Amino acid sequence: MNKILETKKLSAGYGALRVLHEIDFSIAEGERIAIVGLNGHGKTTLFRSLTHLVGWQQGSILLNGEEIGGRRALGAGRKTPSIIHAGIAMSPQGDAIFPGLTVDQHLDCGAYKKESWKNRESKKQQIYEIFPPLLDLKKSLVGKISGGERRMLSIGRMLMEEAKLYLIDEPSLGLAPKISESVIKALLMVDIKNSAMIIAEQNVSLLKGKVDRMVGMHAGRLRGDVGHISLG
Amino acid sequence: MNNFKLNTDKQISFHSVGQTSKEYKIHPKTGSVWNKFRLPMSRRHWLKWRTHYNKKNLTKARRLEDKRPLWWFLCLIPLGFSLPWLSNFALSAVAIFCIYASINLLWSLTLGTAGIFSLATMAVVGVSGYVAAAANVYLGIPWPFMFAIGTIAGLIFGGFLALPSSRLDGLYYALLTLGLAEICRVFISQIRALTPTNGSINGVSSFIPEEWYLQRPGLLLGAITALVLLLLSLLIYRLVNGETLGRQLQVAREDEEFAEAIGINYRSARIKVFLISCAGLGFIGAFYAMYFRSISVGVFSLDQLMLLFAMIVIGGTERAEGAVLGTAIVILIDRGLFELGPMRIVIIAVVMILVTIYTSNGITGIRQQFRNFRNRFQTQKRSLITTKGGEVMPEEAIDINDKQQIYSRRFDFRLRNHLKTLVTDDVIAEHKAKPLGQHSDALSRLLNYFRRTDVLDKYAIEQIGSLKEAKYKILAFTGIPGKPPRVVDERVYNNKNEAYHAVFLMRINDLLES
Amino acid sequence: MDISLIIYALNLAAIYSLMAIGISLLWSSVGMINMAHGATFVVSGYSTLLASSWIVPIIKASLAGTAFYTPVLVLSMTTVALLSGAIFGAIIYLIAFLPLHDKPNFAIRSLIATLAINIATVQLLLWWFGPRQKALPKLFGFGRIDFLEFSIRYDQAATIVGTLLLVGSMLLWFRNSRLGLEIRAMMQNPEGAALSGISIRKKALPVMMLTGSLAGMAAILLSQTSFLSPTAGALPLIKGLTIALLGGLGSIGGAMLGALLIGILEVITGEIPFLGQRYVLLVQFIFIVTVLVIRPRGLGGLLDETRK
Repeated sequence: MNKILETKKLSAGYGALRVLHEIDFSIAEGERIAIVGLNGHGKTTLFRSLTHLVGWQQGSILLNGEEIGGRRALGAGRKTPSIIHAGIAMSPQGDAIFPGLTVDQHLDCGAYKKESWKNRESKKQQIYEIFPPLLDLKKSLVGKISGGERRMLSIGRMLMEEAKLYLIDEPSLGLAPKISESVIKALLMVDIKNSAMIIAEQNVSLLKGKVDRMVGMHAGRLRGDVGHISLG
Repeated sequence: MNNFKLNTDKQISFHSVGQTSKEYKIHPKTGSVWNKFRLPMSRRHWLKWRTHYNKKNLTKARRLEDKRPLWWFLCLIPLGFSLPWLSNFALSAVAIFCIYASINLLWSLTLGTAGIFSLATMAVVGVSGYVAAAANVYLGIPWPFMFAIGTIAGLIFGGFLALPSSRLDGLYYALLTLGLAEICRVFISQIRALTPTNGSINGVSSFIPEEWYLQRPGLLLGAITALVLLLLSLLIYRLVNGETLGRQLQVAREDEEFAEAIGINYRSARIKVFLISCAGLGFIGAFYAMYFRSISVGVFSLDQLMLLFAMIVIGGTERAEGAVLGTAIVILIDRGLFELGPMRIVIIAVVMILVTIYTSNGITGIRQQFRNFRNRFQTQKRSLITTKGGEVMPEEAIDINDKQQIYSRRFDFRLRNHLKTLVTDDVIAEHKAKPLGQHSDALSRLLNYFRRTDVLDKYAIEQIGSLKEAKYKILAFTGIPGKPPRVVDERVYNNKNEAYHAVFLMRINDLLES
Repeated sequence: MDISLIIYALNLAAIYSLMAIGISLLWSSVGMINMAHGATFVVSGYSTLLASSWIVPIIKASLAGTAFYTPVLVLSMTTVALLSGAIFGAIIYLIAFLPLHDKPNFAIRSLIATLAINIATVQLLLWWFGPRQKALPKLFGFGRIDFLEFSIRYDQAATIVGTLLLVGSMLLWFRNSRLGLEIRAMMQNPEGAALSGISIRKKALPVMMLTGSLAGMAAILLSQTSFLSPTAGALPLIKGLTIALLGGLGSIGGAMLGALLIGILEVITGEIPFLGQRYVLLVQFIFIVTVLVIRPRGLGGLLDETRK
């Protein structure tokens, strides 16, 4: 079981504000883990530092043994496309949608490799089977669909391409309980034989018992092992 | 025992400890009265002298805080004095340098200070020049009034230009004003009444007498007056940029919403600076017509405008030195390498590209750029050292007067880190079995620490009911006098030991969280 | 109004729209104002001139008098123009885009850099070719087509039809192709595009080559009616810039509409007795400023997906 992702002493922040404090973290093949913690404690920053979108970062990030981290100077996002091509897929907070494109075109954007582009119709069929509501909205402009559908679209776009590491940031944010349950259900059904999935979530109850491991993030530090002692 | 001899006949040298800045300071005699020279009819001083008291040797020293007037003086006055020794070619180059530098200074008022990306500079200069020249040639107005006419023409034209500037986006405005010069060129060359001879007005009377024109005395006079023009432009730049308007706009440059929130009407300040700069450009336009004793549509040419833009880009828009430095560099290349023909423009363009790629604000902006760069790395580095040295960051430490606080906080931090390692399941089980009584070393240390802290960190146990059938609840202090302690949670404990243990667990949680 | 005037207006509008679309497209997808568009125009013109001096004799010798003569001539010259425009677009990419695209003040700095490229190119061409005007070979001959009640010159017909075809096919391609999709994604959400694996660094090159070839097309079309000189790019650049502004930077439909309006305005101004050809620029300018003051984002600014 090789490690898909391993970070060593990863620190990251924006300008003078340091958000992550020397995170040592790893995830192995086939694992599905959840990072739980309150807002503002670094979950999103962790994801963004993995995809090179933070202000600055320090420390090593190994994706399948290859270094993708390193000090960042200017140019946020300059390395992001190459990191995506290396095998990380992310569905960020806020969905990163294109307001003027249709649902169908969004899914097309997700297929960045040549072969996937050629086979995108069949892949899109699969996504529509996972998220049935999207099928009716195929030709609608994304700027006009509801939050839950947008979340499904963002995750669907992420799934268009086989990736080694799936990062999903707050899938249930702003969604009604029933919809967030269906979104989580879809996530849990994704086949990750040779890959791994990290879900950052504030709502612990949605994922309890359904993921292999739960790691807590508090004030920029992972607290999986230093848990609180339960009272009584 | 070391053998040493006290050598009293050798001069003992004292080494100065600590640093004072090595610049020139005036050390006035004690008791002397300081007469600072003031400008006539104002309370303004010439130079920025400030007194500094040196606490170490208890003397008073005066130093010049703003040395820029000195540098300008040192650069420009020798240039003025060297004029008689320059060749004719060099004299005209110096005059052109001064005129262009003046234009660029006023332009950088608009671009840098006011932040209005206007490329209409030469249009204003040209139109004012034409108006002044026409007034002189066709209306017979004597040449001293041309200055005033040019200034007013510039002001009016600037008024028209200022109207869309707040409405249009920066880049849109820039591109539109780019077309303006071309429009003016075509338009003016078409007005037959104005320009009977291929678009230019000739025979403009000037401060250079006709006999001297193109002769050495005329060139000298032209160069000297151009230098005076440059000094006047510097004065205008200093008066606008260094005073109220400039400071207001500096705030607006850094943060517009903040400026508006503290009551700075930056929009009207921008328009005011724009109008002042246009009026100045009008003045220069009149000067231009008088220096050349004519004015032609070449003044509107796009190449000329691009050359001036190159000067200001290479120099930098934020500071006055930028406009003058950029002009000097480009004029040097343009006039000095005349033999190369069109290639010298290519060289200027290459310099422009290099400066744009590597600097964010021209050559004079390099210092600020480097400072920003260093600052960014320093803040990043500093935000990485939160774990070393204890709780207090270096910036905070400077502000804390009682340094003992820093040390006690640092000690506390290290103590807590150590205590965290002592928390094990065994310790917790031990306390559960026996809250009061003899404890192991680790548990004792923990309990001593808990007992030593501030009341605010402690919890209280409330006994409900009589002693026999007592139930216990845990409370936390609010720290506000008069306010009763608040209930922590609803759990009720049946005996005291359980309550003690619960309090202990809560204290341990707080410790681990801190 | 005379039909021939309408055709003249359409002719102008077609050429202007090519320049304006090039600028508008580049701004909205990459965020860069290309002041070197005029230089691309002139460089394509001169490349075609150079190529024509040794291609045209060959074609004349082999195909003169046949039906293939004109099509082959047109095709070869157009290819040279488009290709040279694309290559110069790539050069601009290397000099002005790559070093600057993630630095602060990118828009202004790229404007300055492209301006410098423009200046340098014009001076180099002046130095190499001299300032005299040159004529490019007439591609379409001197005939006219008589259609219903009006006659239209070959080159005017070719310009209008050719531009419509080119722009139409480009728009179609834009809407349906992968690169077009990626460009629109980059326009609307740069971070989302990066997370979808679209690298703006890599995609800017095809866009700049495409807009460069648009300028090349404009060069060869305009060369049918006017002469080529190193400074011939200034006026098309200014027209292209102002029309792109009028249409709203980023809106291709707006640019075409703006070009049409400006073309019609130019023709009308030329016809009005007391105005005449001299006031064309002034009238156009006043029109554009008025529209922009009323609607600061231009004609199409609010409708399309545009960069803010």
